[in-house]
Amino acid sequence: MRRRPGDKSIVATVATWTVVLATIFPLLWMAITSIKPQSELFRIPPAFLPESVTLEHYRTLLEDTPFLTYFGHSLVIATSTTLLVLVLGVLGAYSLVRFSYPGRERLALLVLFTYLLPSVVLVLPLYLMMVKVGVANTLFSLVIAYTTFSLPYALWLLRAFMAGTPEDLEWAALVDGASRLGAFVDIVLPQMLPGIISTAVFTFIVGWNEYFYALVLVNSDSARPLTTGVMNMLITSFNIEWSLLMAAAVMMSLPLIVIFVFLQSYLTRGFAASGIKG
Amino acid sequence: MTSAVLGNVASPRRFSLQRHYALLGMLLIAPTILIFCAVIVYPLITAIYLSLFSIYTPTLQGDWVGLENFRTMFGSPEFWFTLWTNIIWTVGTLTLQLLFGIGTALLLNQNIWFRSLARSLILFPYFVSTVVAVLVWRWMFNDVYGILNHALLAAHVVSMPVDWLGQMPNAMASIIVIGAWKYSPFVVIAVLARLQTIPQQLYEAATIDGAGVWGRFWDVTLPQLRDVLVVIVLLRTIWDFKEFDLIYLLTGGGPVTSTQTLPILVYKQAFGLNAMGTASTYAIGMLLVLLTFMLLYLARVGRGKESA
Amino acid sequence: MAGISIEKLCKAFGPVVAVRDLDLEIAEGEFVSLLGPSGCGKTTTLRMLAGLDFPTSGSIRIGGRVVNDLPPGKRDIAMVFQSYALYPHMSVAENIAYPLRKRGVPRRERDAKVMEVARLLRLEALVDRKPRHLSGGQQQRVALGRALVREPQVFLLDEPLSNLDAKLRAHMRAELIELHRRIGKTMVYVTHDQLEAMTMSDRIAILHGGLLQQFGTPADVYERPANVFVADFIGTPSMSLFEGTLHRQGGQLEARIGSMVVPLPENHVTWSGGADGLAIRLGVRPEDVVLGDIGEPAVVKLVEPTGHENIVLLTLHGLVVTARLGADVRLRPDEAVHVGFRTAKLHIFDRDAGTRLNTDGPARVTAFRGLQSIGQR
Repeated sequence: MRRRPGDKSIVATVATWTVVLATIFPLLWMAITSIKPQSELFRIPPAFLPESVTLEHYRTLLEDTPFLTYFGHSLVIATSTTLLVLVLGVLGAYSLVRFSYPGRERLALLVLFTYLLPSVVLVLPLYLMMVKVGVANTLFSLVIAYTTFSLPYALWLLRAFMAGTPEDLEWAALVDGASRLGAFVDIVLPQMLPGIISTAVFTFIVGWNEYFYALVLVNSDSARPLTTGVMNMLITSFNIEWSLLMAAAVMMSLPLIVIFVFLQSYLTRGFAASGIKG
Repeated sequence: MTSAVLGNVASPRRFSLQRHYALLGMLLIAPTILIFCAVIVYPLITAIYLSLFSIYTPTLQGDWVGLENFRTMFGSPEFWFTLWTNIIWTVGTLTLQLLFGIGTALLLNQNIWFRSLARSLILFPYFVSTVVAVLVWRWMFNDVYGILNHALLAAHVVSMPVDWLGQMPNAMASIIVIGAWKYSPFVVIAVLARLQTIPQQLYEAATIDGAGVWGRFWDVTLPQLRDVLVVIVLLRTIWDFKEFDLIYLLTGGGPVTSTQTLPILVYKQAFGLNAMGTASTYAIGMLLVLLTFMLLYLARVGRGKESA
Repeated sequence: MAGISIEKLCKAFGPVVAVRDLDLEIAEGEFVSLLGPSGCGKTTTLRMLAGLDFPTSGSIRIGGRVVNDLPPGKRDIAMVFQSYALYPHMSVAENIAYPLRKRGVPRRERDAKVMEVARLLRLEALVDRKPRHLSGGQQQRVALGRALVREPQVFLLDEPLSNLDAKLRAHMRAELIELHRRIGKTMVYVTHDQLEAMTMSDRIAILHGGLLQQFGTPADVYERPANVFVADFIGTPSMSLFEGTLHRQGGQLEARIGSMVVPLPENHVTWSGGADGLAIRLGVRPEDVVLGDIGEPAVVKLVEPTGHENIVLLTLHGLVVTARLGADVRLRPDEAVHVGFRTAKLHIFDRDAGTRLNTDGPARVTAFRGLQSIGQR
């Protein structure tokens, strides 16, 4: 039977889904493990599907560990960083794309360059700086540090998005009597909304997942985010409680799951905007 | 007319409205520049400054040593060995990322059932936290309860559980594979986006000219992907090279120092050996390696573009 | 008094000079087209009028006051863009209301004005739609509405019809002419389509390479083109141009084109005479080529019937001439005919400078003679 262009290919479907399922298998396994009762967990050989489902690990996690504290910290840090980066990034991108002043092109290149700096180089001086200013071991120090790598990327993304919106809309607004900032708020920002959401989603996830800076800059539970917090739980526990850890892993991925369900297209759009551009 | 940006600074005699716009532009980017200077430029300069000192981390007291740190670094076998390990890790995981990424992208470009769902799911490893990835893989690698060992034992491929992270060459192989697992989606997305823009007619013309599946891939797909791949290789090389989280959390650089890469070495120097000055030196050393690579790479790519 | 006065306007983008020493006086209420091929500087000029681009030197006056440093919103102008530039996230009503909003007009008054304009442009049924749900013609009217609602002194239009199909374009042209007649405000219209310029304008400013070629009424520009460029650019089919020399032979003025000798009326050209003659270009419009029983021998090369007339290419003394002949004329390729020119209508241009040498004009710039001067002498 001759295959027409619109037909779906069975062979390709099987091949592709095999690959996809194999790739996300570890994550599926993580979720399954987290709802297996303790008794089933350490059965040898381990069964794939749980015979009974339980939420006891989650309860223990939330009640008996500092997990919620860490969760709260991460939420504050990631949200604050995202807001800060968005405000700076949106204004900065507008400046880079729609204005003309000496040194503009060089600035754009500099932004690009800083994006590629290893965090290892910057973290030590940042640590010293935080100590000197007196904000070491605080949430604030992490927000500042996360801005270090979030802002260049956000600028790059927002710049790409802004360059993709038509200029004559702003010109029309100017002729209609808007000031440049008025035109920005009335016309450019609404146009940029998908780009802003994409950047926000990216920045949030990166801030949520960040480990290294948190490791160096914070070493007390008063400011620990989830990443270092959970790893801390692993090291300080006498017995590695895998059930708890799997539950923690699932819960840590919660924002990601939420984003995937509701905002997934914004992720790929952000990728496309930055990935293809040279 | 290409982008006619408002306010073209073309002559010495500037009108005030033009200048007003220029100043506004500078004002808008000023906060960003300030933050940049504070958290990027200043630390960068400080890092270079630090590398000229010998500093005891807990007290942050130090003495000037000038370029002594650098001399020690270049003469230290550990530095070169770590650099070598770093290169092996980078090349290994990058190769896998490219192979897997391009292959998966090609598959996801086909007309299949539930394609958009497949495309969403494939992104998960990339966006999941490194901590989560490490926890999951460590659990799977567990010698007693891990599912991987169980599967291998049940299939009689091995007779004893494998030590995935505590032995060489297992450790290096494991981190390379896990690194590929985590970061391939980046390649997938970027390549897929490009694949979707390749006009169907090119393939049709190639088919008419007698090209088979492989021929079409080699002569139509790959050349179109060249530009995207150049960028992907550059970015992923740099990011993989400076990867800390994944390796540190999986092996800590071990067994002993077999998977120790430069970022981990820097961390150890600063907080394990309490030698912050030396650590900074190593960090600068790493930066220099990256810069060299970038310049060579861009030069080579630039030349390739001219001849193409 | 809202005329526009452009003095010595220059615009350079780095080494590229887009507009050179432009002087233009546009009277209040006049409809002026800026016409020329792409890259001639017409859009740049319009943008400078609007305040979206800055002159390198020179001044612009609207209604008597210098506007060089006034932002676009304060120049009392409105602009219709080629792409319409409708705000995509706003409805038609909100689009039209935007200028009034920016001016702080209270809501009730705003809504009233918007509905008035919508009614004028037959958009009442569409006021709540978003631009992406409108056709090209409808979008264009919304753009016009947004411009009208401000009641500005000057309207600037940047090729507003070029995105429409031919039939709609003809219709909108008529509507714009009607609109201009009704509101009587100054309009500056950029186009590369000479038909638009000819049918709509009181005067046309023809630009080429950043320089003003001619500024005059459609009649001026057609009957007395200031130079070769204008002569060739205006008129479809184009004027046939030939290189030759001008001689005064025993008191008789004549043009020698190759082997052909064309006698000219006595004072046809401003030229004092010279033994070697003058290097010229001779131009003849297709409608000034006459077929008859006597005249120069020619051979029909190609016949293009358009329905209401025939465009015929003829080979005459080795030169190719375009002739516009009636629909009833039946000719076939390779047929031999006799051809003459209406010598009083011949255009003589200096071959090197390109300027027109006829004595009946031209002023490169003809003064404004009042509205409705189309067709008048």
